[in-house]
Amino acid sequence: MSRSHDPGFFQVTPLESFPPEEQWDDWVEYDAAAWPRRVERRSMLVPTTCFNCEAACGLVAYVDRESFKIRKLEGNPHHPGSRGRNCAKGPATLNQVDDPERILYPLRRVGPRGSGRFERVTWDEVLDTLAATIRKALQDGRRDEVMYHVGRPGHDGYMDRVLQAWGVDGHNSHTNVCSAAARLGYALWAGADRPSPDHENSQFMLLLSSHLETGHYFNPHAQRIMDAKMKGAKLCVIDVRLSNTASMADYWLAPWPGTEAMLLLAMARVILEEKLYDAAFLEQWTNWRATLAAHAGGTGAQRFEDFIAFLKDHYAAFTPEAAARECGVDAGVIVEVAREIGQAGNAFASHVWRNAASGNLGGWQVARCLQLLVVLVGGVGARGGTNLNTQDKFVPAPFARPEPQTVWSELLYPREYPLSHHELSYLLPHFLLEGRGKLAAYFTRVYNPVWTNPDGLLWERVLRDEERIELHAALTPVWSETAQYADFVLPMGVGAERHDLMSQETHAARWISFRQPVVRVARERLGHKVEWTWQANPGEVWEEDEFWIALSWRIDPDGTLGIRKHFESPYRPGERLTVEEYYRWIFENSVPGLPEAAAAKGLTPLEYMRRHGAFQVEKDTYLGHLRELAPEEREGTTADPADGTLRRDGQAMGVMAGGTARAGFKTPSRRLEVHSATLADWGWPEHALPGYIESHIHRRRMDPDKSEFVLVPTFRLPTLIHTRSGNSKWLYELSNTNPVWIHPEDAGRLGIRTGDLLRVSTRIGHFINKAWVTEGMRPGVLACSHHLGRWRLFDDTGTGRWASVKVAREEIRPGVIRFRRVEGIRPFASADPDSRRIWWTDGGVHQNLTFPVQPDPVSGMHCWHQKVRLERARPGDLYGDVEVDTNLSMEVYREWLALARPAPGPDGLRRPLWLARAVRPADSAYRLPPGNGG
Amino acid sequence: MQLGFLIDHRRCIGCHACTVACKAENDVPLGSFRTWVKYSEAGRFPDVRRHFAVLRCNHCTTAPCVTICPVNALDKRRDGIVDIDRDACIGCKACMQACPYDALYLNEDLGAVEKCHYCAHRVERGLEPACVVVCPETAIISGDLHDPGSRIARMVRELSTEVRRPEQRTGPNVHYTGHAPVLLHPGAAGRPDTFLWSERPPDKPEPWPARLPVAPDTRIVLDAGHKVQWGWGVGLYLVTKGIAAGAAMLAPFLPRLGVEGPAALWLPEVTALLFTLATTLLLAGDLARPWRFYRVLTRPNWRSWLTKGAVVLALFAGTEALILALRLAGQGPLADLLRLPAALMGVAVAGYTAFLFAQCEGRDLWQSSLLLPHLLAQAVLCGAAAYLPFAPASRGLQAVFVVAAAAHVALSLAERFRRHATDNARQGAAFLGSLRLGPASPFRDGLLLGAGVATALVFVAPALVLAAASTGLLLYEWALVRAGQLPPLS
Repeated sequence: MSRSHDPGFFQVTPLESFPPEEQWDDWVEYDAAAWPRRVERRSMLVPTTCFNCEAACGLVAYVDRESFKIRKLEGNPHHPGSRGRNCAKGPATLNQVDDPERILYPLRRVGPRGSGRFERVTWDEVLDTLAATIRKALQDGRRDEVMYHVGRPGHDGYMDRVLQAWGVDGHNSHTNVCSAAARLGYALWAGADRPSPDHENSQFMLLLSSHLETGHYFNPHAQRIMDAKMKGAKLCVIDVRLSNTASMADYWLAPWPGTEAMLLLAMARVILEEKLYDAAFLEQWTNWRATLAAHAGGTGAQRFEDFIAFLKDHYAAFTPEAAARECGVDAGVIVEVAREIGQAGNAFASHVWRNAASGNLGGWQVARCLQLLVVLVGGVGARGGTNLNTQDKFVPAPFARPEPQTVWSELLYPREYPLSHHELSYLLPHFLLEGRGKLAAYFTRVYNPVWTNPDGLLWERVLRDEERIELHAALTPVWSETAQYADFVLPMGVGAERHDLMSQETHAARWISFRQPVVRVARERLGHKVEWTWQANPGEVWEEDEFWIALSWRIDPDGTLGIRKHFESPYRPGERLTVEEYYRWIFENSVPGLPEAAAAKGLTPLEYMRRHGAFQVEKDTYLGHLRELAPEEREGTTADPADGTLRRDGQAMGVMAGGTARAGFKTPSRRLEVHSATLADWGWPEHALPGYIESHIHRRRMDPDKSEFVLVPTFRLPTLIHTRSGNSKWLYELSNTNPVWIHPEDAGRLGIRTGDLLRVSTRIGHFINKAWVTEGMRPGVLACSHHLGRWRLFDDTGTGRWASVKVAREEIRPGVIRFRRVEGIRPFASADPDSRRIWWTDGGVHQNLTFPVQPDPVSGMHCWHQKVRLERARPGDLYGDVEVDTNLSMEVYREWLALARPAPGPDGLRRPLWLARAVRPADSAYRLPPGNGG
Repeated sequence: MQLGFLIDHRRCIGCHACTVACKAENDVPLGSFRTWVKYSEAGRFPDVRRHFAVLRCNHCTTAPCVTICPVNALDKRRDGIVDIDRDACIGCKACMQACPYDALYLNEDLGAVEKCHYCAHRVERGLEPACVVVCPETAIISGDLHDPGSRIARMVRELSTEVRRPEQRTGPNVHYTGHAPVLLHPGAAGRPDTFLWSERPPDKPEPWPARLPVAPDTRIVLDAGHKVQWGWGVGLYLVTKGIAAGAAMLAPFLPRLGVEGPAALWLPEVTALLFTLATTLLLAGDLARPWRFYRVLTRPNWRSWLTKGAVVLALFAGTEALILALRLAGQGPLADLLRLPAALMGVAVAGYTAFLFAQCEGRDLWQSSLLLPHLLAQAVLCGAAAYLPFAPASRGLQAVFVVAAAAHVALSLAERFRRHATDNARQGAAFLGSLRLGPASPFRDGLLLGAGVATALVFVAPALVLAAASTGLLLYEWALVRAGQLPPLS
């Protein structure tokens, strides 16, 4: 590449996207701040992985070779998922690094919990205190009293290993306020709980999502969706409000919330009636025989045609017209979309992750019905179709996996929800208040349940309760509404300050992406010695990987608990594992092709990953179910004469297809399960087939005369992350208020105009927000983004001032809490001159506090949609007011709990053995103790 | 060579990655943008859609910002990039009035203007601008529009593309395809008081004038703010300059207007000099870097009417000072003789602003053919008012004042109500009428006070005429200056 230094003239086109790789160690660029003076700055380019959403896009940090300041973060051209490009949240990582409000040193609470007073402590004190508490719990056999509760994992498997090394059943997650419903729906089909659409090669895309602006996996998916569109594929988006994604769609369908499954089944019926299905695929790869046996009676000679006839009959009522009446979507459009799907054949890509699945009672059936469409057209795993996450995600094994734990925590997987996907995380306060257990040590990690979860004030109550939660450490890069109730607030690195290894099923390939503490890597490359990452990070900001190693050593200093050995170096026996060695071992031993690729460049596998940040393990990962069984897998199996299922000891191991032994799917039948014996066996026979469950917010349950509406409270914004973007000034500048979307008809009836204050009342409380009157909203429905409404109680601790308003918390009647804002967002003085330029004042309204818990009885998903009453604000109501009657919280909880059908299932199990479970315990732990609830 | 952009709105998903990547690359202050995304919504449920537009500097072939910059801080490079030298910038903000696209902003910490410079610092290292690299959809295409083989040139040739506000004849080099036309026509759609997930930036709080038409069922739902840069300082500058110019313009005619005695001998020059000094102080004071005022003369851009105006002011002040000196030296007849060229310079002092405003391609209201006569009428009005206390019974002076006031009223009403050629001018004229200062309408009340009340005072309290006329005028000028800047350019 030739370059000109002649001021004002430059003769080279085309320009390149990235500095040439050979110059990454010492890239010279002109300082934008000095321009047009040509002041040279020298940077080292170090790849890392974005930690803002879960997509794990590649980033490259420009680390100044003199100051070791991160100058900026750009995309990583080596990354197979993000391909060098990013959304707004990638470059905004710089704000999180430079945030003058960030926590730089470990803090310990002074005074009662939640009093807002903290003092700086040493990491030694932190580690010793935590280690002593955990050691005691382990020695006492209280292996369900240590809990790690994660919001954004950002890694694959590291913590599973830590927790299993400790022998505790203590992994809690955010899954059930997020994706439990979709996970169950997908898992029932194929044993894989996520879709991985191959948008790029599809002919038709159906999204119950907003992947052109948010979600798993926004940037990589958005690239490929639009690429496909430009090649002629069509896009249909089902969303009750006009998302940016819906705006780009060829079809936008905005059904009544909760009726999505009906809409999808109507499409399935069209495909069946018009013979647009892939008969050969269905015959080979669905459990149609079992389906007929279970639903059409008889076990004699069954014909595939009977199965099709049965499906047509079973779904006969789902006519386009009936769906149009139920869903409020034009019947003609339903038929048109169904035909488009049929014509796309197996090049039909689809996705639901939250959307209707996470909003509604029975939302898991939405995912199941969507996948029914994919199955009907034979699109499972096909090029341009919808793959399984297990095909497209690659999780390499670390050295020496610990044995699975032999305990089962009912605080995580309570027996009421044997099919849940996964931990009933948001019910933890309710369980603790019911006396189901207590916690000796509770870690929240990038997790902000007080703010994110429903019923946040119950969280606040148990977090203040030192009997129920004896020790709480918040591992977090930033202050949060939850961290302020912790005993220890422990600063952890943001995306450019930590190690992690991630993979995501972004497209038809398998890749890994390496997150790195970029300053440490740059220093080490220049010959500096860095023992711990915090030494290269700002202040004393640790990275979690090292934290867990250090903590594990202190829990078991002499190795007698059998924990320490898992944190000893695989290269230097008996010595403490370094984070570098952990990943070095993986790269050398567990990633096929990486050692060879590294050698070709004259690098070790670790060096390769340090310099490239990502590696593609495999591409064109289609049709995993057709994988031929290896001889050892086939050994000892016999083929069922009727359907070719290969069984060993009664358990299906594969399927004979076309004369070859193939892997099939990870279900008990090794096939795609139209009929789910699991549902039938575990108490839900009426839902054993993909079907339509009337939602808790069904129109029938709404009384328009009482001004009752459905509130859709789940939509995300393109530029924010749930709870960690508060310190990204460039993102907050773009998104800083969350008005309630309302259609002009509804607004007109109530005499509401944009900006007017509304009182939105739920079962347990109300909030006051302003109206956004828009045609982009279905009449009868309200929507409000959950991405805003951050608050703090104190001036100097709590959520940062870029994003939070200061509120006064007052118990106005026993158990009735009111939050009232006392100070909006306003400019403040700091080391960053931008903090004086803050021009927004609002910050939005926190609605989740007013939501009771609504656990779906099957999936365990919190059903987010709310039945609300809408009125104009009353005299005395102020913008941002939130009022909650916590006396009602437990009442609503118990109503929903009563819907569940508890374990045990067959064989006295707590949960079907074949379904995935987070940090899976030993099989023995699945059995309920005899006489215990049986 | 002409580097440019093609924004492919068939692909753009409105994600703001370009906005943030630009901020990271160039450390753009909060509240300001070098590139931003505007959203609009059109239609009725369920046939409603949101549209996006990525807006930024057009790196115009004929860049009005370059023309107006008095100190050559803006520069059209040979590769077509319009770049700015922040070290040279004096912060006069004229470029922000000249740009028809809202592309520039003032970095208040630096006291200098900034804008998209096509990441020239990257381009010279062989890299594409940061916004191009980050875009998830490769919806921003960069390259040389003059190279027929380049991808961008080929796409511009083959696709149906449009540029923003071609009627401004600036030759924009940012092309759009697949966009919603309403997004390229500022002001065509209404703006609610809040946006869909952002507060509306507080920069232009004035409500949209009710009488202006907006496209039905279409509205802007997200946009960046653009601060109004010229305010009271510029309004007052027009008044002080008018008094100085008017005093000089009437000076040769004082004997015939009945002004006699010491007032006739000293008042014109003293008035002209004092108010020129005030004008100069106001001009310098309005700069973000006042101490750099001298650079207008040390690195002049002779195409800029700011430069020319500064020279006119300097020559005028020099001439007035010379007259004063001559008179002090007892050279009265020579001094009187010089009052005629000084009066002509007064015409230039009063009138050059019309040419400066004509260079403000972003302010169609100011680019009025009536502005030159209007400024002259205002100067005469001020001049007459200045002399009235010293010849209160002068029919001639009274007549001059009344005629000038009548002309001012007539021209003001014409600016307000005549048929304007462009949307921007129409919108500006509507704002001129709808602007409020508390309960007052500065346009209406400025005319009432500056022409109506002042005319009455001519006959009852001549000593107060100047105060009334200049206050009224100030209200009017403020309204004109602000109203011109209120119509959205983007």
